[in-house]
Amino acid sequence: MIILLMLIPLSLMLLAVAIGSFVWAVRKGQFDDMDTPAIDILRDDRPREAKAGCTMEERRHG
Amino acid sequence: MDCVVDTISQVGVETCYHCGEALPASPVLSDVEGSVKGFCCDGCLAAAQWIRSSDLGDYYRLRSAAGARVDVELPDLAAWDRDDVLADHAFPVTGGLEITLLTDGMRCAACAWLIDRALGRVDGVLEAGANAVTGRIRVAWDPARVALSSVLQRLASLGYRPYLASGAAQEREKLAERRRWLLRLGIAGLGAMQTMMLSEALYLDFNHHMALYTRDFFRWVTFLVCTPVVFYSGWPFLMGAWREWRERHPGMDTLVAGSTLLAYLASAVETVRGGAHVWYDAAAMFVFLLLCARMLEQRARRIASSQVDALARARPALAVRERNDGTRESVPLTALQIGDVACMAAGEAVPADGVLLDEQAMFEEALLTGESHPVAKARGTEVFAGTICRETPARIEITRLGSATRLSQLTRLVEQAQAHRPPLARAADRVGTWFVVALLLASIAVFVGWRIHDPSRAFEVTLSLLVISCPCALSLAVPAALAATHGALARLGVLSLRADGLDGLARATDVVFDKTGTLTRIDPAVGEVRTFGDRSADDVLAIAAALERDSGHPIAAAFTSVLTLRTASGLKVNAGQGLSGRVDGVEWRLGRGPFAANQHDDGRLWLGDGTSAVACFTLEERMRTDARAAVNALRGLGLRIHLASGDASAAVERLARQLKVDDAHARQSSEDKLALVRELQAQGRVVAMVGDGLNDAPVLAGADVSLAMGEGASLAQRAADMVLTAPSLLRIPAAVQLARRTQRIIRQNVAWAIGYNLLALPLAIAGQVTPSLAALGMALSSLIVTANALRLMRVSVPESSS
Repeated sequence: MIILLMLIPLSLMLLAVAIGSFVWAVRKGQFDDMDTPAIDILRDDRPREAKAGCTMEERRHG
Repeated sequence: MDCVVDTISQVGVETCYHCGEALPASPVLSDVEGSVKGFCCDGCLAAAQWIRSSDLGDYYRLRSAAGARVDVELPDLAAWDRDDVLADHAFPVTGGLEITLLTDGMRCAACAWLIDRALGRVDGVLEAGANAVTGRIRVAWDPARVALSSVLQRLASLGYRPYLASGAAQEREKLAERRRWLLRLGIAGLGAMQTMMLSEALYLDFNHHMALYTRDFFRWVTFLVCTPVVFYSGWPFLMGAWREWRERHPGMDTLVAGSTLLAYLASAVETVRGGAHVWYDAAAMFVFLLLCARMLEQRARRIASSQVDALARARPALAVRERNDGTRESVPLTALQIGDVACMAAGEAVPADGVLLDEQAMFEEALLTGESHPVAKARGTEVFAGTICRETPARIEITRLGSATRLSQLTRLVEQAQAHRPPLARAADRVGTWFVVALLLASIAVFVGWRIHDPSRAFEVTLSLLVISCPCALSLAVPAALAATHGALARLGVLSLRADGLDGLARATDVVFDKTGTLTRIDPAVGEVRTFGDRSADDVLAIAAALERDSGHPIAAAFTSVLTLRTASGLKVNAGQGLSGRVDGVEWRLGRGPFAANQHDDGRLWLGDGTSAVACFTLEERMRTDARAAVNALRGLGLRIHLASGDASAAVERLARQLKVDDAHARQSSEDKLALVRELQAQGRVVAMVGDGLNDAPVLAGADVSLAMGEGASLAQRAADMVLTAPSLLRIPAAVQLARRTQRIIRQNVAWAIGYNLLALPLAIAGQVTPSLAALGMALSSLIVTANALRLMRVSVPESSS
């Protein structure tokens, strides 16, 4: 049962990571609007403008 | 969000490509992606061209509702750059300022998508985020690189007119509050899952093979995981219990906080002294499940009320004040003082109550009275804040400001009416309190009993009694069903604003309709046409339609169905009288009797040359196409239908005859309607009221359950229990059916949960419930209750014929 001494702290660490990322997501407003981002992916990116679109996304969300 | 997709598919050649409004006689034609599309005005064309050229044309493919009409003359936005406005409403962020705006044209998620991108491309905008659910737009910009007015110019050019959201601080506070709740829920969920997993390990150790130090290690870890759940996530319950305790009014929070704390503290004590059992899982799961229920309820309410609320409070950001020397300046609303002269352009909202200074002007008072036709006012009459100036500009002298205005008073009145809620809610409160008190007393009795009988087990048995009295199944029975129903209701196009609305709807025996705007459409239609002379009815209709088409007159809607190729020139609108213009070289006048045809003013619409009459039209409000089907369906559900209208008896009787309603009341004031509702209630009937105007607000609040039409006055919606977002009356019987089914399922759920409790409580009191059995029973009964509730999600949306 000595393995538990490693597994349980490991699971606690995973829990801490999960909570940490959840807190980050909430603070960043990821849950504020559940409808609009859903249609973001529906757009076909044409090759010509793909780059421009990307940089904009990165600038705004990243 | 499930906006009407049909509106777009129906939009053929005859409606504007951008905004979906009917095209005028000479539409602006333009080439869009190889085919010719018509636009209603240059504003819409410019918007569409910009969208195309910016490569955002997907907006037209993604949207599920037509866009907002773009005014050719964009509003003057320079005032938004004023320092005093920015100081009040914007706040600094890194690199610039941020402001939250409201807009009224955002109708579906595609609009939010478009706004996001359109604003994001303006140089100097740091961040833009539109939320279609709440109708709010957040813009962060760098004032050194771009002025706010030019950012908003882009917004306005797409048809979204910006309004100020009331108080930036309040907005931020609301958002922070929501995020806090979400954090609580997330942490409770993750923590409860871990606690449950660790506790299961302890429970499954039936024969005590586990070494003592392993067991204690597990317990300490569980303690660690459970603590934030109880004290961070469960904080609202603890505070609620504390408040209830101070008010000497024990309620649900007392029970929740009591059993959570007891389970947690007892477990902690047991952990320290190495006792037989711990109950961390009960504490954590309990907090999590209850938080879930509250979040679902809050979410449903927020979606329903935020838009309504926002528009009810949306006032013009600025007022135009006339200085003593006659020059004008625009000032923030707060800078206005009593005695100032304020000017409104046509289409603008009145900033404060006042007295009209001009000879005559028209005001649309829909927000206050629900009456959609503009009212003509003469010099010296009162004009109210929140009404909209129509047709001609107007000047008023301000007499009342801010919270003293009629609008604010009415808002307060509605709020007071709401505070006086049905006795059933209070009864439920009392019963709840008694239940809690009885349970606490029973626990004490059990504790004392076991203390005498077997002191070593007294604490454990009392705790298992408390935990079992609040098991997941019972706490889930109602919220799970309600959550499922709210989801189904939202898909039906009915938003439930208050929790007890469903209950009232399920028990309703009578439905009282308010005629104006609920059974009839808001737009008028042409009824009887009489001609005096040799022109045919079709001919005069065509002339009238040509005159009305581009007038923007409220009754113009009556003529939109008349197709004509004629055009009018030299149109002139005479406020409160009618309009004049040339059709086929003949000078015509259309409007009230004295103005148009030298006839008596009898409420009909006359066409003539100013001296003699050529035709007259009777305008009637159109019955909604699905009104009859809806009334029949309601009757089929065993409901009695009543009509109570403020209109004249002839109109009401005609409608009652068409719908075969026996009990129709005409010329009803707001008090009369309330008296009718009270009289029915005195007979033991449960009354559902369907209305829309603000003058109905007291009645809406007085009825057992009230529904407001989504297109009615927004203040009336705040008074209602439910709001119909889809313009289909058939949703009412569907909602009644759903409410009844919900009631049935809740009863089944509660019966099951109580049955389980009745079985488990005596066993718990007798000390017979082992933890593993309790865990299994709890999980199973919660699962059954949830699965039963999910059956409510299956709902078929009735076909809308309107």
